[in-house]
Amino acid sequence: MNETKSLPVLVIGAGIAGVSVAVESAEAGREVVLVESEPVIGGRVIRSYHYFPKMCPPTCGMELNTRRLERNPRVQLLTGTTVTAATKANGSWKVTLRREPAYVNDRCTACAKCSEVCPAEVSDSMNLGMQEVPAIRLPYPNAWPHRFVLDRMACPDGCKACVDACEYDAIDLQAQPTEEEHEVSAVVIATGWHPYPLEKLEELGGGRFPDVIANVNMERLASPWGPTGGKILRPSNGEPPQRVAFVQCAGSRDVNHLAYCSDICCLASLKQALYVKEQLPEAEVTIYYIDRRTPGRNEALLTRMTGTEGVRLVKGKVGKVEQGTGGDLMLKLEDVERGTLEEAHADLVVLATGMVPNVGEDLPFSVKVDQDGFALDDLPGGLTVAGVARRPQDVVSSVRDATGAAARAWMAGEGVR
Amino acid sequence: MAEALQISPSPATRLDLMRRGGDTAGRCYQCATCSSVCSLSTPGIPFPRRQILLTQWGLADQLAADPAVWLCHQCADCTERCPRDARPGDVLQGLRSLVIQTLAFPGLVGRLVGNVRRTWPILFGVPWAFWLLLWAAGVIEVPLGDRLHAYEDFVPHGILYAVFFPVAGWVTLAAGVGGARFWKKMGEGTVRQGSFLAGAWPVLLDVLGHKSFGTCEKVTTRRWAHLALFWGFVGAAVTSGLLIYAIYLAGAEMPLPLGHPIKILGNLSAALLVVGGLLLIVSRFGVHRSLIKTSAFDMFFLSVVALVIATGVIVEVARFVLPTTAAGLLYTMHLGVVLTLFLTFPYSKFAHMLYRTLALVHQRMTATPEEER
Amino acid sequence: MERVGLMLCTGCEIGKNLDLKALGDLADEAGAVTTVSHAALCGPEGLAAVRSAMKDENLDGVVIAACSSRAKIEEFRLDGKIAVERVSLREMVAWSHPGNDEDTQMLAEDLVRMGLARAKVVKSADVLDEEIDSSVLVVGGGLAGLSAANTAAGCGREVILVEKETDLGGYLAKVRNIPPQEPPYDAPQVNPVPGLVEQLREHARVQLLTSSKVVSIKGQPGQFDVELETPEGARSLRVGAVIQATGARPYDTDRLEALGGRLDNVISSHELDGMLAAGALERPSDGAAPRRVLFVQCAGSRDPEHLAYCSSDCCLSSLNQVAAIHQLSPDVETTVIYRDMRTPGQTEHFYLAVQDHPTTFLARGEVETVASDGNGALSVRVKNSLLGEDVELAADLVVLAVGMVPESADGEGIRILTDATRKLETGDSDKQREDARKQIEEYARFEGTEILNLDYRQGPDLPVLGSSFPDSHFICFPYETQRTGIYTAGTVRAPMLPARALEDGQGAAFKALQCTAALARGETVHPRSGDTSVPEFSLQRCTQCKRCTEECPFGTLNEDEKGTPQLNALRCRHCGICMGSCPERIVNFAEYSVGGVAAMVKAIEVPEEEDEKPRILALLCENDALPALDAAAERGKKWNPWVRIIPVRCLGACNVIWIADALSGGIDGVIMIGCKSGDDYQCHYIRGSELAAYRLENVQETLDRLVLESERIKVVELAHDEWDRIPAVLDEFAETIEEIGANPYKGF
Repeated sequence: MNETKSLPVLVIGAGIAGVSVAVESAEAGREVVLVESEPVIGGRVIRSYHYFPKMCPPTCGMELNTRRLERNPRVQLLTGTTVTAATKANGSWKVTLRREPAYVNDRCTACAKCSEVCPAEVSDSMNLGMQEVPAIRLPYPNAWPHRFVLDRMACPDGCKACVDACEYDAIDLQAQPTEEEHEVSAVVIATGWHPYPLEKLEELGGGRFPDVIANVNMERLASPWGPTGGKILRPSNGEPPQRVAFVQCAGSRDVNHLAYCSDICCLASLKQALYVKEQLPEAEVTIYYIDRRTPGRNEALLTRMTGTEGVRLVKGKVGKVEQGTGGDLMLKLEDVERGTLEEAHADLVVLATGMVPNVGEDLPFSVKVDQDGFALDDLPGGLTVAGVARRPQDVVSSVRDATGAAARAWMAGEGVR
Repeated sequence: MAEALQISPSPATRLDLMRRGGDTAGRCYQCATCSSVCSLSTPGIPFPRRQILLTQWGLADQLAADPAVWLCHQCADCTERCPRDARPGDVLQGLRSLVIQTLAFPGLVGRLVGNVRRTWPILFGVPWAFWLLLWAAGVIEVPLGDRLHAYEDFVPHGILYAVFFPVAGWVTLAAGVGGARFWKKMGEGTVRQGSFLAGAWPVLLDVLGHKSFGTCEKVTTRRWAHLALFWGFVGAAVTSGLLIYAIYLAGAEMPLPLGHPIKILGNLSAALLVVGGLLLIVSRFGVHRSLIKTSAFDMFFLSVVALVIATGVIVEVARFVLPTTAAGLLYTMHLGVVLTLFLTFPYSKFAHMLYRTLALVHQRMTATPEEER
Repeated sequence: MERVGLMLCTGCEIGKNLDLKALGDLADEAGAVTTVSHAALCGPEGLAAVRSAMKDENLDGVVIAACSSRAKIEEFRLDGKIAVERVSLREMVAWSHPGNDEDTQMLAEDLVRMGLARAKVVKSADVLDEEIDSSVLVVGGGLAGLSAANTAAGCGREVILVEKETDLGGYLAKVRNIPPQEPPYDAPQVNPVPGLVEQLREHARVQLLTSSKVVSIKGQPGQFDVELETPEGARSLRVGAVIQATGARPYDTDRLEALGGRLDNVISSHELDGMLAAGALERPSDGAAPRRVLFVQCAGSRDPEHLAYCSSDCCLSSLNQVAAIHQLSPDVETTVIYRDMRTPGQTEHFYLAVQDHPTTFLARGEVETVASDGNGALSVRVKNSLLGEDVELAADLVVLAVGMVPESADGEGIRILTDATRKLETGDSDKQREDARKQIEEYARFEGTEILNLDYRQGPDLPVLGSSFPDSHFICFPYETQRTGIYTAGTVRAPMLPARALEDGQGAAFKALQCTAALARGETVHPRSGDTSVPEFSLQRCTQCKRCTEECPFGTLNEDEKGTPQLNALRCRHCGICMGSCPERIVNFAEYSVGGVAAMVKAIEVPEEEDEKPRILALLCENDALPALDAAAERGKKWNPWVRIIPVRCLGACNVIWIADALSGGIDGVIMIGCKSGDDYQCHYIRGSELAAYRLENVQETLDRLVLESERIKVVELAHDEWDRIPAVLDEFAETIEEIGANPYKGF
């Protein structure tokens, strides 16, 4: 094998799938260029509180993966970077990478002095816009790279408070974007997903009522670095909810929205039901479902939750969510097993929204997609796909998939297939 | 072990339903979005989710006894929201034709009309042929002259009565049997409170204003179309009644002058029928095409109505502009479709007048107090 | 190291909050060759200063007294050769304790002493340079195995595939179609096995051995010596890595009596696959063509009595069979009774497509019983149907969609059985023999179940977790097993669909080639991938207590006949659990040793009792507890200044001598904070916290001997994201210690 001599693999996206492709490839001896458009790695998993079914924090596995990344001389991690152009030339790809201005460079010690003096506030994208944070801040605890980031757009004219506060000359407000060219043997698309927009679920109260939130928001509410410091509270009044309703298949398995099943929502809701019960033992939790999809050993979580006092699973999709009397929410549905129409009331409604692949025009490759917009492998073309960009799947499947993608990229790179 | 319902889930019902436009029933995965978005579905009698389930299981008898099938006004709110595109509205529409056939008396005629996709030439042809035969046989004949003075000169009222009174009687009987069957099946295992009339009264009020129809969210035009048609037919019926009164008791001179109140009422009804019919067609085949499917069963009913109205209007004008034979021929056509309308009443979509009314009354009589809204 | 320098960073509040001169002085006392301090040690200028000091004083070790060992890693790797010891004056002192305070200063001084003490002991390790074979042995010729072989070969490896049956393809050998996994996902897709077999037969780097099995696997990854039994006779070969793709077997329908498992016309989904492949759908009882076929989903799955888990593919394979039946004879009525229709992801399209078929009927319900009228006609009783009443259905043929049972062998179970069998003969006491007899009964089912026949002290096969799946971290690191260089793929690893098994093979193959590539570089693999230092055993002091050989989570150590451990360095993952287990302290790593940490413990200055300054030793898992504490410090959390923190590789890698040393040295309490144990353990070495807790029980004796309160030592389990909790944990422990009072051994 002439592993180290061959050209690097380009991995686009540093979520759990992209990071896995990168570390697995690099440890196998492949050179890797890992690009991430956000200033930190972790993507969607880092925005989750716990993984099902073990209820462990994603940061635990990510800590290890970060060590593997950082320790490995063969991985070049480029955050705040996007691929702007790509051309295929005799088997390999020539790609142009655009790097966002490094307003905060690697002299940053994460001492937080800049944050303390920053006058500007921005919406916190790590927390899905659920809170405001200083324009210059550490995206999340144990963030990697462990460096502060600045939303330059938010800076008041002429403000250089952070520059003055920084003792390490780590901030350059005049920094410019840069471009670099790379020649790579293969490309792995691991651009992940975004949640189906709440606004498209108006009939379920999406975007209409503050206490109707998406499952991804629930993860942030439960997370210790979330907007509530890990307390599950109603957005409308900051009170802990007494009755929490989970609406499954909100925009999934639905020809009017996403025709496919997003694979994770049932387990996510069961997991979140556990968040609620652990924090608010008195709370009543109801999960309204069509089918309970907890494949493999995940079944254990279903068994556990069905056996939990104060947790009900009801077969019946919620048709409407309206403002209830007394500030709560009214859900209209039929309990299919009992054959009764019901008007259920809840203080917090969690819509189990599905996953939409991030496979868009912004990728400078001619990516083949299926009828649902998920990207397909094109090995002769030197393109392979990993994680949710490829199909709706959970973390363990994404990692499994990523390892396979590393192999496929290797073979595509070797020109062997 | 408790007694179990013995069934063999045969696809027969589903296949039959397919021909009636309910071919999407199989796609349903029982999420019940339909029942929860339906504005007519009530805690007492939720639908249409359960009716689709019964269809999938092939339980035709239970469906025949189910008032919910008739409580549905096919406003298609469910069809629009159904995540599976199972089109509950169309499925229930198909079910209604299925049930009409199941309840029909005599069954043969029920099947004849039920299979209208193939039998429509008979259903239109025979009644018309009947009048042509009378003509051929000289029982009726057009008088001399170049214009018809009045249609009575062609078909004397006596003959009309001789034909339509027995037919009406027969139809009433057939409908009565069907209705009775339905009332009985529907009543099994449920307790009705109060008298029929007590239940019927509020229903009547609802029907007069089509209130239930009004709660539909998506397809609103259909309420007005249906209302116009409804009043059009009522008007037409009243007109005929008044005519008989006018002729035999008031001894009025035929034909009535255009300014005569009865004539005005008749023309008004005709106008309502035309407007309603057009609205219905615009809604069904235009704006809401995607939400409402039109089966052969619907088509037959619609064409009967359309033809009755059209021929009626044409005939009225015809005698002024056409030679007697032509006008006469058109008149036999008109009488033909009217006869078709009469004869198929208990078996065509027309029967929903009967069954839906009964279902609504049943709903009233079985509703728990808090459901009385 | 001989010449150690102290590199002192004064930035990030360190300079403001601490008396740096005092730190410099104590460095001199402690024998540091030089002390460099800089306001931003991690910046280019700071690093330049460090480098010049390294050169001028020709240092062989440096103590970086600055930020956490988890910060500025790349910067402080320096030239990569010199021994670097990190002392966290920022997170552990300046950010988490009041400035210019006596206790804070004492804490800082202790930490610096500890760092210097350890730097002295640290030795430089030489990297393993072994002859590494990169070829791959694949055990099992089903879809996963074939795919693994194809991938390994595609990546340039030599592959030997061993299949016990005469045909390749495993379960799919006799299946025509598999559920769709390619757009538009609405119709069965052709079984990839024949094509794959074709491809592999042509492949120059692949040998396919059917009707063969593994007799034994000796040695270690990169150097596995394999004995095979083939039709052509015995065969020996050397491989670098092994992939176990032994698949799964259908759950035994005979155990589903209520569902008619023993009736003629009740068949398993696998038998139906056979019929469909043969193109003849017929009732076993009379060979007649069935008119009504009924599928019973979750037959023996999602059921504590049988298989507690969901086998993930039964719903889809039933839909697949329904589609096949329609192709074969369109008018056959097919009914599927399911509890939950599980067609995840885009297979939902297939579900809808099958529903659209007019003679298909899919209904929610639970089949209670399947009975026969004696003439072959079946009646199926369904409860919890949505009709609101129990239903009885007639059918001519009933198909039980049974789950899959992994074809794994519980290596530990087999080991226990063989040990017990030996005990039965050689046992010293009746009691011992009696216990052995009991164990033999309990583990009898493992008799002759060996698959890989590993020559490992801990048993001939992979250890399995609950539900007998041989993995170790099925969320973040799904391919990890507890044996280095041996990976599992396909349905033996987890229940999955055929198309997934194909991908699973690709991933497993990649892990296999990754392993040999890493070993060839002298590096270990996950989780300490890249690490090159292996443990050294000074066997002359070994007492053959076998703790190390039993406790190693990866089966690294074998035993000679006397029970002396034999290191297989290439199996080792460098976790240090052997080092933690050894009562004689004969196991050590060059840069992580019993002596090294002991030196740190001894370096802690213990004030007199009257000073009322208790001292607490905290051993923190470097993967979870340490990051949690760093985050706490970063977020301005404070904790008790009596605590002296030593990061460790794993709580299992803690030798109890450290605790004994601490307590006998007058330290008032020892707290160990590690990862969650139990079924949902989070420890990357499987049983670290568990082992620590269990070893502490033994320390209890020491405590009793020293007449010390047992509350002075404690193990706490804590997750990576519990930074809000960890300061409280430390404070509470400090309170407990204060209540108990001073350690009477102070000053001795």
